[in-house]
Amino acid sequence: MEVQSFYGVYMLYCINPKFKGRIYVGFTVNPERRLQQHNAGRQRGGAKRTSGRGPWEMVLIIHGFPSDIAALRFEWAWQHPHSSRRLAHVSRRSKKESSLQFHWRVVSNMLRAAPWNRLPLTTRWLKQEYRLDFEPSLQPPVHVPVAFGMVRVKKKKTPPPASPEEAEPQTTMCCLCNTTIMQSEGLSCVHAPCRLRTHLLCMARSFLKADPSHLLPIEGACPSCGRSVLWGSLIRHKHGCLDDLQEVIGSASQNHWTNELQEFSPL
Amino acid sequence: MCDLTSHHHTCKFLAQNKRRRMMVPITPMPHYSDMDTPELKNKLNRYGVRPLPKRQMVVKLKEIHQYTHQLTSSDSEDEEPSTACSAQVKPLLIRPILCSTSNQFKEPRPPTASPGKHNTKVVEEEGEEPLSASQGSNTSSNAASEESERSNPELIMSSDRDSDSDGGVSASQSASRLQDRLLAVRGFILSHPELYGRILQYQPLVLSQLQEQLKAAGIRLGVAKLVDYLDSQCITFTTAKPGQPAAGRGRKTRTRVKTGTSAGASRKKAHFNR
Repeated sequence: MEVQSFYGVYMLYCINPKFKGRIYVGFTVNPERRLQQHNAGRQRGGAKRTSGRGPWEMVLIIHGFPSDIAALRFEWAWQHPHSSRRLAHVSRRSKKESSLQFHWRVVSNMLRAAPWNRLPLTTRWLKQEYRLDFEPSLQPPVHVPVAFGMVRVKKKKTPPPASPEEAEPQTTMCCLCNTTIMQSEGLSCVHAPCRLRTHLLCMARSFLKADPSHLLPIEGACPSCGRSVLWGSLIRHKHGCLDDLQEVIGSASQNHWTNELQEFSPL
Repeated sequence: MCDLTSHHHTCKFLAQNKRRRMMVPITPMPHYSDMDTPELKNKLNRYGVRPLPKRQMVVKLKEIHQYTHQLTSSDSEDEEPSTACSAQVKPLLIRPILCSTSNQFKEPRPPTASPGKHNTKVVEEEGEEPLSASQGSNTSSNAASEESERSNPELIMSSDRDSDSDGGVSASQSASRLQDRLLAVRGFILSHPELYGRILQYQPLVLSQLQEQLKAAGIRLGVAKLVDYLDSQCITFTTAKPGQPAAGRGRKTRTRVKTGTSAGASRKKAHFNR
Protein backbone atom coordinates (compact mmCIF):
# COMPACT_ATOMS: atom_id res chain seq x y z
CA MET A 1 0.00 0.00 0.00
CA GLU A 2 0.98 3.58 -0.43
CA VAL A 3 2.77 4.99 2.51
CA GLN A 4 3.35 8.32 0.91
CA SER A 5 0.07 10.08 1.09
CA PHE A 6 0.37 13.67 0.04
CA TYR A 7 0.28 14.59 -3.62
CA GLY A 8 -0.46 18.16 -4.52
CA VAL A 9 -0.40 20.42 -7.53
CA TYR A 10 0.32 24.01 -6.63
CA MET A 11 0.36 27.44 -8.16
CA LEU A 12 3.17 29.90 -7.53
CA TYR A 13 2.71 33.64 -7.87
CA CYS A 14 5.70 35.84 -8.57
CA ILE A 15 6.06 38.91 -6.38
CA ASN A 16 9.30 40.12 -7.89
CA PRO A 17 8.37 43.57 -9.27
CA LYS A 18 10.12 42.77 -12.52
CA PHE A 19 8.06 39.68 -13.16
CA LYS A 20 5.11 40.38 -10.98
CA GLY A 21 2.05 38.27 -11.56
CA ARG A 22 3.74 35.41 -13.32
CA ILE A 23 2.37 32.02 -12.51
CA TYR A 24 4.04 28.66 -12.22
CA VAL A 25 2.22 25.38 -11.80
CA GLY A 26 3.99 22.39 -10.30
CA PHE A 27 3.63 19.10 -8.47
CA THR A 28 4.90 18.33 -5.00
CA VAL A 29 4.75 15.88 -2.14
CA ASN A 30 5.91 18.57 0.26
CA PRO A 31 4.73 22.12 -0.42
CA GLU A 32 6.90 23.87 2.15
CA ARG A 33 10.08 22.28 0.94
CA ARG A 34 9.16 22.80 -2.67
CA LEU A 35 8.58 26.51 -2.20
CA GLN A 36 11.96 26.87 -0.56
CA GLN A 37 13.53 25.14 -3.51
CA HIS A 38 11.86 27.45 -5.98
CA ASN A 39 13.00 30.49 -4.08
CA ALA A 40 16.52 29.18 -3.61
CA GLY A 41 17.06 28.90 -7.34
CA ARG A 42 18.02 26.25 -9.76
CA GLN A 43 21.14 25.10 -7.97
CA ARG A 44 19.07 24.18 -4.98
CA GLY A 45 16.37 22.31 -6.77
CA GLY A 46 14.16 25.10 -8.05
CA ALA A 47 12.68 24.80 -11.53
CA LYS A 48 14.44 26.55 -14.37
CA ARG A 49 11.50 28.78 -15.04
CA THR A 50 11.28 30.04 -11.51
CA SER A 51 14.99 30.34 -10.90
CA GLY A 52 16.29 33.85 -10.52
CA ARG A 53 12.83 35.36 -10.77
CA GLY A 54 11.78 35.01 -7.21
CA PRO A 55 10.55 35.53 -4.72
CA TRP A 56 7.56 33.37 -5.39
CA GLU A 57 4.58 32.79 -3.20
CA MET A 58 2.71 29.54 -3.15
CA VAL A 59 -0.85 30.73 -3.29
CA LEU A 60 -2.97 27.71 -4.14
CA ILE A 61 -2.66 23.96 -3.97
CA ILE A 62 -4.99 21.20 -5.06
CA HIS A 63 -4.34 18.13 -2.96
CA GLY A 64 -5.84 14.81 -2.04
CA PHE A 65 -4.70 13.05 -5.20
CA PRO A 66 -4.61 9.35 -4.48
CA SER A 67 -1.44 8.77 -6.48
CA ASP A 68 1.44 10.63 -8.04
CA ILE A 69 0.19 9.50 -11.41
CA ALA A 70 -3.14 11.20 -10.92
CA ALA A 71 -1.49 14.35 -9.62
CA LEU A 72 1.07 14.54 -12.40
CA ARG A 73 -1.59 14.25 -15.02
CA PHE A 74 -3.50 17.05 -13.34
CA GLU A 75 -0.36 19.14 -13.31
CA TRP A 76 0.21 18.60 -17.00
CA ALA A 77 -3.32 19.54 -17.94
CA TRP A 78 -3.23 22.65 -15.78
CA GLN A 79 0.01 23.69 -17.44
CA HIS A 80 -1.27 22.89 -20.92
CA PRO A 81 -5.02 23.45 -20.88
CA HIS A 82 -5.20 24.05 -24.60
CA SER A 83 -3.47 20.80 -25.40
CA SER A 84 -5.47 18.68 -23.02
CA ARG A 85 -8.31 16.82 -24.62
CA ARG A 86 -10.18 16.94 -21.35
CA LEU A 87 -10.19 20.72 -21.38
CA ALA A 88 -11.15 21.40 -24.97
CA HIS A 89 -14.01 23.54 -23.71
CA VAL A 90 -11.77 25.96 -21.83
CA SER A 91 -11.21 29.10 -23.84
CA ARG A 92 -7.95 30.96 -24.05
CA ARG A 93 -6.96 33.69 -21.69
CA SER A 94 -8.79 36.88 -22.44
CA LYS A 95 -7.12 40.26 -22.54
CA LYS A 96 -8.71 41.48 -19.37
CA GLU A 97 -7.84 38.33 -17.48
CA SER A 98 -4.73 38.21 -15.33
CA SER A 99 -2.60 35.11 -15.43
CA LEU A 100 -3.77 34.33 -11.92
CA GLN A 101 -7.40 34.65 -12.95
CA PHE A 102 -6.82 32.54 -16.02
CA HIS A 103 -5.16 29.74 -14.09
CA TRP A 104 -7.98 29.87 -11.60
CA ARG A 105 -10.52 29.53 -14.38
CA VAL A 106 -8.62 26.59 -15.80
CA VAL A 107 -8.39 24.78 -12.49
CA SER A 108 -12.05 25.53 -11.75
CA ASN A 109 -12.92 23.76 -14.96
CA MET A 110 -10.59 20.89 -14.18
CA LEU A 111 -12.20 20.13 -10.84
CA ARG A 112 -15.48 19.67 -12.69
CA ALA A 113 -14.08 17.57 -15.50
CA ALA A 114 -13.28 13.91 -15.81
CA PRO A 115 -10.92 12.30 -14.94
CA TRP A 116 -10.69 14.49 -11.84
CA ASN A 117 -14.25 15.23 -10.80
CA ARG A 118 -14.63 12.06 -8.74
CA LEU A 119 -11.31 12.27 -6.94
CA PRO A 120 -11.25 13.26 -3.26
CA LEU A 121 -9.55 16.59 -3.86
CA THR A 122 -9.27 19.70 -1.73
CA THR A 123 -8.83 23.24 -2.99
CA ARG A 124 -6.56 25.06 -0.62
CA TRP A 125 -5.60 28.73 -0.63
CA LEU A 126 -2.26 28.93 1.06
CA LYS A 127 -2.28 32.70 0.88
CA GLN A 128 -5.68 34.04 1.53
CA GLU A 129 -4.96 37.46 0.09
CA TYR A 130 -4.99 35.86 -3.35
CA ARG A 131 -8.19 34.00 -2.84
CA LEU A 132 -10.60 33.94 -5.75
CA ASP A 133 -14.13 32.61 -5.70
CA PHE A 134 -15.47 30.01 -8.06
CA GLU A 135 -17.54 31.48 -10.85
CA PRO A 136 -21.18 30.55 -10.33
CA SER A 137 -21.10 28.48 -13.49
CA LEU A 138 -17.86 26.79 -12.48
CA GLN A 139 -18.67 25.56 -9.02
CA PRO A 140 -16.64 22.48 -8.12
CA PRO A 141 -18.34 19.20 -7.23
CA VAL A 142 -19.87 19.40 -3.77
CA HIS A 143 -17.40 16.96 -2.30
CA VAL A 144 -14.45 19.25 -3.00
CA PRO A 145 -13.88 21.49 0.02
CA VAL A 146 -12.15 24.85 0.01
CA ALA A 147 -9.56 25.16 2.75
CA PHE A 148 -7.08 27.79 3.85
CA GLY A 149 -3.56 27.91 5.17
CA MET A 150 -0.38 25.93 4.66
CA VAL A 151 -0.37 22.21 5.40
CA ARG A 152 2.32 19.71 6.10
CA VAL A 153 2.31 15.96 6.17
CA LYS A 154 2.54 14.72 9.71
CA LYS A 155 5.50 12.56 10.44
CA LYS A 156 4.54 9.02 11.15
CA LYS A 157 5.25 8.09 14.72
CA THR A 158 5.86 4.50 13.86
CA PRO A 159 6.12 2.72 10.59
CA PRO A 160 2.55 2.38 9.42
CA PRO A 161 0.61 1.28 12.46
CA ALA A 162 -0.97 -2.09 12.19
CA SER A 163 -3.93 -1.40 10.01
CA PRO A 164 -7.25 -1.57 11.80
CA GLU A 165 -8.31 -4.84 10.27
CA GLU A 166 -5.19 -6.60 11.47
CA ALA A 167 -5.80 -5.60 15.02
CA GLU A 168 -9.24 -7.05 14.98
CA PRO A 169 -10.20 -10.67 15.12
CA GLN A 170 -9.93 -12.26 11.75
CA THR A 171 -13.44 -13.51 11.50
CA THR A 172 -15.22 -10.24 11.03
CA MET A 173 -18.51 -10.37 9.25
CA CYS A 174 -19.52 -7.87 6.62
CA CYS A 175 -22.35 -5.70 7.89
CA LEU A 176 -23.84 -5.63 4.43
CA CYS A 177 -23.63 -9.17 3.10
CA ASN A 178 -23.05 -11.15 6.31
CA THR A 179 -20.15 -13.14 4.98
CA THR A 180 -16.61 -13.24 6.28
CA ILE A 181 -14.26 -10.39 5.49
CA MET A 182 -10.75 -11.30 4.48
CA GLN A 183 -8.10 -9.02 5.90
CA SER A 184 -7.28 -7.17 2.73
CA GLU A 185 -10.81 -6.47 1.63
CA GLY A 186 -12.27 -4.87 4.75
CA LEU A 187 -13.43 -1.34 5.19
CA SER A 188 -14.43 0.46 8.34
CA CYS A 189 -16.20 3.72 9.03
CA VAL A 190 -14.09 6.80 9.72
CA HIS A 191 -16.32 8.03 12.50
CA ALA A 192 -14.78 6.85 15.70
CA PRO A 193 -17.55 5.15 17.65
CA CYS A 194 -19.00 3.45 14.59
CA ARG A 195 -18.17 -0.24 14.45
CA LEU A 196 -19.06 -0.78 10.84
CA ARG A 197 -17.10 -3.41 8.97
CA THR A 198 -17.83 -4.22 5.38
CA HIS A 199 -16.28 -5.56 2.26
CA LEU A 200 -14.75 -2.92 0.06
CA LEU A 201 -17.01 -4.01 -2.76
CA CYS A 202 -20.17 -4.19 -0.70
CA MET A 203 -19.65 -0.66 0.53
CA ALA A 204 -18.93 0.55 -2.99
CA ARG A 205 -22.15 -0.97 -4.22
CA SER A 206 -24.04 0.63 -1.40
CA PHE A 207 -22.57 4.06 -2.19
CA LEU A 208 -23.16 3.71 -5.90
CA LYS A 209 -26.87 3.06 -5.61
CA ALA A 210 -27.42 6.74 -6.13
CA ASP A 211 -24.91 6.85 -8.94
CA PRO A 212 -25.38 3.60 -10.81
CA SER A 213 -23.52 4.40 -14.00
CA HIS A 214 -20.24 4.94 -12.22
CA LEU A 215 -17.66 2.56 -10.84
CA LEU A 216 -15.93 4.85 -8.39
CA PRO A 217 -18.01 6.14 -5.50
CA ILE A 218 -17.62 9.72 -4.29
CA GLU A 219 -19.58 9.90 -1.11
CA GLY A 220 -22.31 8.14 0.80
CA ALA A 221 -23.92 7.51 4.15
CA CYS A 222 -22.39 4.92 6.43
CA PRO A 223 -24.86 2.02 6.52
CA SER A 224 -24.29 1.72 10.25
CA CYS A 225 -24.02 5.18 11.77
CA GLY A 226 -25.68 7.00 8.91
CA ARG A 227 -23.14 9.77 8.77
CA SER A 228 -21.92 11.02 5.48
CA VAL A 229 -18.45 9.99 4.49
CA LEU A 230 -16.25 10.49 1.45
CA TRP A 231 -15.10 7.40 -0.35
CA GLY A 232 -11.62 8.92 -0.41
CA SER A 233 -11.67 9.14 3.38
CA LEU A 234 -12.67 5.49 3.72
CA ILE A 235 -9.75 4.47 1.55
CA ARG A 236 -7.29 6.73 3.35
CA HIS A 237 -8.58 5.33 6.60
CA LYS A 238 -8.04 1.82 5.33
CA HIS A 239 -4.47 2.69 4.42
CA GLY A 240 -3.80 4.39 7.70
CA CYS A 241 -3.29 7.87 6.35
CA LEU A 242 -6.58 9.58 7.02
CA ASP A 243 -5.55 12.35 9.36
CA ASP A 244 -2.02 12.83 8.26
CA LEU A 245 -2.19 16.52 7.48
CA GLN A 246 -1.59 19.30 9.89
CA GLU A 247 -2.05 22.99 9.49
CA VAL A 248 1.07 25.04 9.58
CA ILE A 249 1.24 28.55 10.86
CA GLY A 250 3.69 30.06 8.48
CA SER A 251 4.78 33.66 8.87
CA ALA A 252 3.60 36.00 11.56
CA SER A 253 1.51 37.82 9.01
CA GLN A 254 -0.58 34.72 8.52
CA ASN A 255 -1.31 34.23 12.13
CA HIS A 256 -4.23 36.51 12.60
CA TRP A 257 -6.38 34.94 9.95
CA THR A 258 -5.20 31.37 9.76
CA ASN A 259 -6.06 30.83 13.37
CA GLU A 260 -9.62 31.71 12.74
CA LEU A 261 -9.81 29.86 9.49
CA GLN A 262 -8.43 26.63 10.76
CA GLU A 263 -11.61 25.97 12.56
CA PHE A 264 -13.46 25.99 9.30
CA SER A 265 -11.09 24.08 7.14
CA PRO A 266 -12.31 20.55 6.64
CA LEU A 267 -9.13 18.59 6.93
CA MET B 1 -19.37 32.36 -49.88
CA CYS B 2 -16.00 32.02 -51.49
CA ASP B 3 -14.50 33.80 -48.57
CA LEU B 4 -16.18 31.54 -46.15
CA THR B 5 -14.95 28.37 -47.72
CA SER B 6 -11.39 29.49 -47.92
CA HIS B 7 -11.50 30.47 -44.30
CA HIS B 8 -12.92 27.11 -43.54
CA HIS B 9 -10.10 25.46 -45.40
CA THR B 10 -7.41 27.42 -43.66
CA CYS B 11 -8.84 26.43 -40.35
CA LYS B 12 -8.93 22.85 -41.36
CA PHE B 13 -5.40 23.00 -42.62
CA LEU B 14 -4.11 24.64 -39.51
CA ALA B 15 -5.90 22.21 -37.36
CA GLN B 16 -4.50 19.32 -39.29
CA ASN B 17 -1.05 20.70 -38.99
CA LYS B 18 -1.34 21.01 -35.30
CA ARG B 19 -2.95 17.70 -35.07
CA ARG B 20 -0.06 16.07 -36.80
CA ARG B 21 2.31 17.77 -34.44
CA MET B 22 0.34 16.62 -31.45
CA MET B 23 -0.78 13.34 -32.91
CA VAL B 24 -4.29 13.77 -31.67
CA PRO B 25 -6.56 12.08 -34.14
CA ILE B 26 -9.52 14.37 -33.89
CA THR B 27 -11.07 15.63 -37.08
CA PRO B 28 -12.22 19.19 -36.62
CA MET B 29 -15.94 19.46 -36.95
CA PRO B 30 -17.08 21.06 -40.19
CA HIS B 31 -18.80 24.37 -39.71
CA TYR B 32 -22.27 22.98 -40.09
CA SER B 33 -23.82 26.17 -38.81
CA ASP B 34 -22.43 28.07 -41.77
CA MET B 35 -23.62 25.61 -44.39
CA ASP B 36 -26.53 26.11 -46.73
CA THR B 37 -29.65 24.06 -46.45
CA PRO B 38 -29.06 21.92 -49.58
CA GLU B 39 -25.61 20.99 -48.40
CA LEU B 40 -26.94 20.04 -45.01
CA LYS B 41 -29.61 17.93 -46.67
CA ASN B 42 -26.99 16.14 -48.69
CA LYS B 43 -24.83 15.46 -45.73
CA LEU B 44 -27.69 14.09 -43.70
CA ASN B 45 -28.82 12.00 -46.60
CA ARG B 46 -25.54 10.16 -46.44
CA TYR B 47 -26.51 8.98 -42.99
CA GLY B 48 -29.96 8.07 -44.13
CA VAL B 49 -31.63 10.93 -42.31
CA ARG B 50 -34.48 12.71 -44.05
CA PRO B 51 -34.39 16.48 -44.53
CA LEU B 52 -35.30 18.42 -41.44
CA PRO B 53 -35.62 22.07 -40.54
CA LYS B 54 -32.23 23.70 -40.91
CA ARG B 55 -31.44 24.13 -37.26
CA GLN B 56 -32.31 20.59 -36.46
CA MET B 57 -30.12 19.39 -39.30
CA VAL B 58 -27.18 21.30 -37.91
CA VAL B 59 -27.75 19.83 -34.50
CA LYS B 60 -28.12 16.32 -35.86
CA LEU B 61 -24.99 16.60 -37.96
CA LYS B 62 -23.00 17.80 -35.01
CA GLU B 63 -24.29 14.93 -33.02
CA ILE B 64 -23.35 12.45 -35.69
CA HIS B 65 -19.95 14.02 -36.00
CA GLN B 66 -19.36 13.56 -32.35
CA TYR B 67 -20.34 9.96 -32.36
CA THR B 68 -18.13 9.25 -35.30
CA HIS B 69 -15.12 11.41 -34.60
CA GLN B 70 -14.70 12.47 -31.06
CA LEU B 71 -12.18 10.80 -28.89
CA THR B 72 -12.55 13.28 -26.16
CA SER B 73 -15.46 12.43 -24.00
CA SER B 74 -17.83 12.61 -21.29
CA ASP B 75 -16.39 15.15 -18.95
CA SER B 76 -18.50 18.07 -19.89
CA GLU B 77 -21.96 16.71 -19.74
CA ASP B 78 -23.04 19.02 -17.02
CA GLU B 79 -20.80 21.91 -17.62
CA GLU B 80 -21.41 23.18 -21.07
CA PRO B 81 -24.99 24.20 -21.36
CA SER B 82 -24.15 25.91 -24.60
CA THR B 83 -23.20 22.76 -26.42
CA ALA B 84 -25.59 22.49 -29.25
CA CYS B 85 -26.14 18.81 -29.38
CA SER B 86 -26.93 17.87 -25.86
CA ALA B 87 -30.37 19.21 -25.36
CA GLN B 88 -32.99 19.15 -28.03
CA VAL B 89 -32.31 16.06 -30.02
CA LYS B 90 -32.92 12.53 -29.00
CA PRO B 91 -29.57 10.90 -28.88
CA LEU B 92 -28.74 8.32 -31.47
CA LEU B 93 -27.86 6.13 -28.61
CA ILE B 94 -29.49 2.80 -28.74
CA ARG B 95 -30.34 1.02 -25.60
CA PRO B 96 -27.41 -1.03 -24.49
CA ILE B 97 -27.57 -4.62 -25.57
CA LEU B 98 -25.30 -7.51 -24.85
CA CYS B 99 -22.08 -7.27 -26.69
CA SER B 100 -22.09 -9.62 -29.61
CA THR B 101 -18.36 -10.19 -29.75
CA SER B 102 -18.18 -11.94 -26.46
CA ASN B 103 -19.67 -15.35 -26.25
CA GLN B 104 -18.67 -16.16 -22.77
CA PHE B 105 -21.00 -13.80 -21.03
CA LYS B 106 -23.15 -15.55 -18.53
CA GLU B 107 -26.38 -14.47 -17.05
CA PRO B 108 -26.26 -11.04 -15.55
CA ARG B 109 -25.76 -11.17 -11.86
CA PRO B 110 -25.10 -8.48 -9.34
CA PRO B 111 -21.47 -7.65 -8.67
CA THR B 112 -20.40 -9.65 -5.69
CA ALA B 113 -17.42 -9.66 -3.52
CA SER B 114 -17.12 -13.39 -3.70
CA PRO B 115 -13.57 -14.04 -4.71
CA GLY B 116 -12.58 -16.56 -7.28
CA LYS B 117 -15.63 -16.24 -9.47
CA HIS B 118 -14.65 -14.91 -12.80
CA ASN B 119 -17.57 -14.98 -15.06
CA THR B 120 -18.34 -11.81 -16.80
CA LYS B 121 -21.55 -10.01 -16.73
CA VAL B 122 -22.99 -7.08 -18.50
CA VAL B 123 -25.16 -4.66 -16.72
CA GLU B 124 -28.01 -3.10 -18.53
CA GLU B 125 -28.78 0.33 -17.49
CA GLU B 126 -31.02 3.02 -18.75
CA GLY B 127 -28.97 5.76 -17.34
CA GLU B 128 -25.63 4.92 -18.87
CA GLU B 129 -24.04 8.18 -19.76
CA PRO B 130 -23.47 8.93 -23.41
CA LEU B 131 -19.74 8.80 -23.41
CA SER B 132 -18.86 10.62 -26.50
CA ALA B 133 -21.52 13.25 -26.63
CA SER B 134 -21.25 16.83 -25.58
CA GLN B 135 -17.95 18.07 -26.69
CA GLY B 136 -17.32 21.60 -27.79
CA SER B 137 -17.09 21.83 -31.52
CA ASN B 138 -13.90 23.64 -32.19
CA THR B 139 -10.69 21.74 -31.92
CA SER B 140 -8.77 23.97 -34.25
CA SER B 141 -7.73 26.28 -31.48
CA ASN B 142 -5.53 23.62 -29.99
CA ALA B 143 -1.94 24.59 -29.99
CA ALA B 144 1.14 23.22 -28.44
CA SER B 145 2.56 26.63 -28.01
CA GLU B 146 3.52 26.50 -24.40
CA GLU B 147 6.86 25.01 -23.73
CA SER B 148 6.45 21.67 -22.18
CA GLU B 149 8.75 20.31 -19.59
CA ARG B 150 7.41 16.87 -19.85
CA SER B 151 5.86 14.90 -22.60
CA ASN B 152 2.14 14.92 -22.95
CA PRO B 153 0.64 12.24 -20.75
CA GLU B 154 -2.45 12.27 -22.90
CA LEU B 155 -0.56 11.54 -26.07
CA ILE B 156 -0.08 7.83 -25.82
CA MET B 157 -3.77 7.42 -25.81
CA SER B 158 -4.13 8.55 -29.33
CA SER B 159 -1.38 6.49 -30.86
CA ASP B 160 -3.20 3.39 -31.87
CA ARG B 161 -6.47 4.06 -33.46
CA ASP B 162 -8.16 1.02 -34.57
CA SER B 163 -8.86 -2.25 -33.25
CA ASP B 164 -12.37 -1.03 -33.64
CA SER B 165 -12.45 0.43 -37.08
CA ASP B 166 -15.84 1.36 -38.30
CA GLY B 167 -15.51 0.88 -42.01
CA GLY B 168 -18.78 1.39 -43.77
CA VAL B 169 -20.95 1.34 -40.71
CA SER B 170 -23.56 3.96 -40.09
CA ALA B 171 -23.07 6.45 -37.34
CA SER B 172 -25.78 5.13 -35.13
CA GLN B 173 -24.61 1.57 -35.54
CA SER B 174 -21.07 2.37 -34.57
CA ALA B 175 -22.25 4.47 -31.67
CA SER B 176 -24.29 1.66 -30.27
CA ARG B 177 -21.52 -0.80 -30.90
CA LEU B 178 -19.16 1.38 -28.93
CA GLN B 179 -21.74 1.63 -26.22
CA ASP B 180 -21.98 -2.14 -26.08
CA ARG B 181 -18.27 -2.49 -25.74
CA LEU B 182 -18.09 0.05 -22.99
CA LEU B 183 -20.79 -1.81 -21.15
CA ALA B 184 -18.79 -4.95 -21.61
CA VAL B 185 -15.74 -3.25 -20.10
CA ARG B 186 -17.84 -2.14 -17.19
CA GLY B 187 -19.18 -5.62 -16.73
CA PHE B 188 -15.70 -7.03 -16.90
CA ILE B 189 -14.49 -4.71 -14.16
CA LEU B 190 -17.46 -5.39 -11.93
CA SER B 191 -17.02 -9.10 -12.23
CA HIS B 192 -13.31 -9.10 -11.40
CA PRO B 193 -13.12 -8.28 -7.71
CA GLU B 194 -9.38 -7.97 -7.66
CA LEU B 195 -9.36 -5.46 -10.50
CA TYR B 196 -12.35 -3.56 -9.18
CA GLY B 197 -10.77 -3.50 -5.74
CA ARG B 198 -7.74 -1.75 -7.16
CA ILE B 199 -9.94 0.83 -8.81
CA LEU B 200 -11.89 1.40 -5.63
CA GLN B 201 -8.64 2.03 -3.81
CA TYR B 202 -7.52 4.46 -6.50
CA GLN B 203 -4.56 2.31 -7.47
CA PRO B 204 -3.49 3.14 -11.01
CA LEU B 205 -4.18 0.44 -13.57
CA VAL B 206 -1.58 -0.52 -16.10
CA LEU B 207 -3.29 0.30 -19.35
CA SER B 208 -1.58 -2.33 -21.46
CA GLN B 209 -2.40 -5.05 -18.96
CA LEU B 210 -6.02 -4.07 -18.80
CA GLN B 211 -6.25 -4.09 -22.55
CA GLU B 212 -4.72 -7.57 -22.65
CA GLN B 213 -7.19 -8.82 -20.08
CA LEU B 214 -10.08 -7.36 -22.00
CA LYS B 215 -8.83 -8.89 -25.20
CA ALA B 216 -8.57 -12.27 -23.54
CA ALA B 217 -12.17 -11.88 -22.48
CA GLY B 218 -13.19 -11.12 -26.03
CA ILE B 219 -13.71 -7.41 -25.52
CA ARG B 220 -11.98 -5.49 -28.26
CA LEU B 221 -11.62 -1.80 -27.72
CA GLY B 222 -9.04 0.61 -29.07
CA VAL B 223 -6.75 2.29 -26.58
CA ALA B 224 -8.23 5.69 -27.26
CA LYS B 225 -11.74 4.53 -26.51
CA LEU B 226 -10.63 2.61 -23.47
CA VAL B 227 -8.82 5.65 -22.15
CA ASP B 228 -11.87 7.80 -22.75
CA TYR B 229 -13.91 5.35 -20.76
CA LEU B 230 -11.45 5.16 -17.88
CA ASP B 231 -11.29 8.93 -17.80
CA SER B 232 -15.04 9.25 -17.78
CA GLN B 233 -15.06 6.99 -14.74
CA CYS B 234 -12.13 8.82 -13.13
CA ILE B 235 -10.09 5.64 -13.06
CA THR B 236 -6.40 6.42 -12.91
CA PHE B 237 -4.16 4.44 -15.21
CA THR B 238 -0.56 4.45 -16.24
CA THR B 239 0.85 3.86 -19.66
CA ALA B 240 4.21 2.81 -18.29
CA LYS B 241 5.18 -0.79 -18.78
CA PRO B 242 5.25 -2.60 -15.48
CA GLY B 243 8.73 -3.05 -14.18
CA GLN B 244 10.28 -1.12 -16.99
CA PRO B 245 12.01 2.07 -15.96
CA ALA B 246 10.94 5.12 -17.86
CA ALA B 247 13.12 5.95 -20.77
CA GLY B 248 15.30 8.97 -20.31
CA ARG B 249 13.16 11.24 -18.19
CA GLY B 250 14.48 13.26 -15.37
CA ARG B 251 18.00 13.34 -14.18
CA LYS B 252 17.74 11.77 -10.81
CA THR B 253 16.34 8.56 -9.58
CA ARG B 254 13.13 7.96 -7.83
CA THR B 255 14.73 6.83 -4.63
CA ARG B 256 15.61 10.38 -3.84
CA VAL B 257 11.97 11.24 -3.71
CA LYS B 258 11.65 9.04 -0.74
CA THR B 259 14.65 10.48 1.03
CA GLY B 260 12.83 13.74 0.96
CA THR B 261 15.50 15.85 -0.69
CA SER B 262 14.51 15.65 -4.25
CA ALA B 263 13.26 18.25 -6.60
CA GLY B 264 11.52 18.83 -9.84
CA ALA B 265 13.05 16.48 -12.29
CA SER B 266 12.96 13.47 -10.08
CA ARG B 267 9.38 13.74 -9.05
CA LYS B 268 8.39 13.93 -12.64
CA LYS B 269 10.05 10.67 -13.25
CA ALA B 270 7.80 9.07 -10.75
CA HIS B 271 5.04 9.40 -13.26
CA PHE B 272 6.72 7.03 -15.64
CA ASN B 273 8.08 4.72 -13.06
CA ARG B 274 5.02 3.22 -11.60
